[in-house]
Amino acid sequence: MRALGPARVASPLFRADSVTRRFGDVTALSDLSVDLFPGAIGLVGPNGSGKTTLLRLLMGLIAPDSGTLTVLGHDPLREPLRVRELVGYMPEHDCLMPDLTGIGFVAHMGRVSGLPKETAMSRAHDVLEFVGLEEERYRRIHTYSVGMRQRVKLAQALVHDPPLCFLDEPTSGLDPKGREEMLGLLRTLATTGHRSFVLSTHLLPDADGLCDQVLLLNGGQLLVAGPVSELLSARDRESVVRIKGDVDPFLAALVRRGLAPRYVDGAIHLALPGGETRAVFEAAAETGAQVRFLGQSVATIEGLFLSKIQAVSGGEAT
Amino acid sequence: MSISAPRYVVPPTPRTGRASRLLAIADREFFRHAEWGTLLAVGFAYTATVLATVTTVLFASLAGSVALDAFATVFASPLWPFLILIVTTAAGAGCLAEDVGNGSFTLYRARPVHLVDYLAAKTVACGSWLVIASVGPGLVAVAVTAALGYAEAGLALHAAAAFVATGLLAAVFFTGLALALSSLTDRALYAGVAIFGLVLSLYIGGALVAGLTGNPYVPYGSPIEDLHRVAIGAFQVSGTSGTSPAASAGVLAGAGIALWAFAGWRLTRLEVIAE
Repeated sequence: MRALGPARVASPLFRADSVTRRFGDVTALSDLSVDLFPGAIGLVGPNGSGKTTLLRLLMGLIAPDSGTLTVLGHDPLREPLRVRELVGYMPEHDCLMPDLTGIGFVAHMGRVSGLPKETAMSRAHDVLEFVGLEEERYRRIHTYSVGMRQRVKLAQALVHDPPLCFLDEPTSGLDPKGREEMLGLLRTLATTGHRSFVLSTHLLPDADGLCDQVLLLNGGQLLVAGPVSELLSARDRESVVRIKGDVDPFLAALVRRGLAPRYVDGAIHLALPGGETRAVFEAAAETGAQVRFLGQSVATIEGLFLSKIQAVSGGEAT
Repeated sequence: MSISAPRYVVPPTPRTGRASRLLAIADREFFRHAEWGTLLAVGFAYTATVLATVTTVLFASLAGSVALDAFATVFASPLWPFLILIVTTAAGAGCLAEDVGNGSFTLYRARPVHLVDYLAAKTVACGSWLVIASVGPGLVAVAVTAALGYAEAGLALHAAAAFVATGLLAAVFFTGLALALSSLTDRALYAGVAIFGLVLSLYIGGALVAGLTGNPYVPYGSPIEDLHRVAIGAFQVSGTSGTSPAASAGVLAGAGIALWAFAGWRLTRLEVIAE
């Protein structure tokens, strides 16, 4: 099991212990063990990586084939209703009732979550104001734009004031402006109050700068999980080199000097022991390449994900 | 003077229980169908039942004696079950299909609501419309005839009980049918066509097969025929032959419960979150 950070004292937001879930011959999640703590958590991976399966397991909607889970100290299989009282869920796909007004829909969802009628209505006004739909709350949902629909989906997930929200691809289908506004809302959620959320996304830049912990999945396998600051600090030592000239001989020359370069998107990424750049220039001189840029790489979750994917596929190849 | 500034803490809002959540879903589902199609069918059921019953009882009263079978006029033709069928289609076809179609079923499942409570809420909403359409008109007709002095109290009570028994059986069967067929699709239109098509084809097909083969058990397969027989039994209409009213009542109640259980099974098979 991966314990995230030595300074963690809070009880885990959720804990998975050797969780495996199969659908027929397909293993959607394989032997997942992880502890994640309160905060903003990025559940990141490509489509089909097991993100949605993990969310379904966490809400007690399906059972694992093996292993155990706890969410906010409760077993989602034994106490599914208790867990669902404590979480809010914003699905990726359309889930709205088009005949209702925004306020009617959010208040209804509040009542179904166990709020008294008057409280549900009052909270619905509050959360719709928070997501920026105070002017449109009395319009029927079928007249809403895609961006407004995403906002009302977020509002219904927050209406019963859950300590934990599962947000499944919240920026899906949004234009750049709408995406930025949605990320702004999530940033506000992450930095105010005592609410945690799990942001499930295949758009890795969405998780950058927003999440303080990340769980990277690929093909049902855990790639890495932990606090973003710790995971990315290891990558701070990585350098980026751009050259003019033949790349392959240059890469071979670097390898001969004991380095492990990766060629990604026209740039060569490599760790330079002690920050020593001599090997780069020696390799350039040997192969006749011109070094056009040499600097430190910007550490991102996307970069971390790509390096992990490459490490896994490299391991498989060997 | 206090030694520290006051602190204010918002107490957690107490959560409502299962019944309240169930009623929230039922409430929304019931009023969602309070639209012109449903209201027109229900209004027509009231008008037809009250006019037919009061007129028949009035003539029986003028002729000298009012018997229980005078209240059964509305059941003499397929009009009554046809009206109930329209209400079933209007109020029941979309009860599950629309939630699946627009994705809100996912939201309900992600809430602290048991699947059986969800199904119960839908049953209450759809069943309420059917009870309003199947039991209500008969009771209004009995009340009117009693108020006008055409039927004595004992007879009126007997007639009311017969209307309640027949109407409740109709509500049980058609609620189960609506839920079962609505659980098979994500389009209310398809479910509505299926409800109508199934009941009418059983009625017409059953009559044809019974006529050709003479098999006395074939009519039990037609809900409309079963309802007709139950009404004949409940209102003690004499001089009729055919299937047993008690057996028809058993078929309707059993089929309604089986269809309800099928709808529940279907809900457990639905994917909650699309990958």
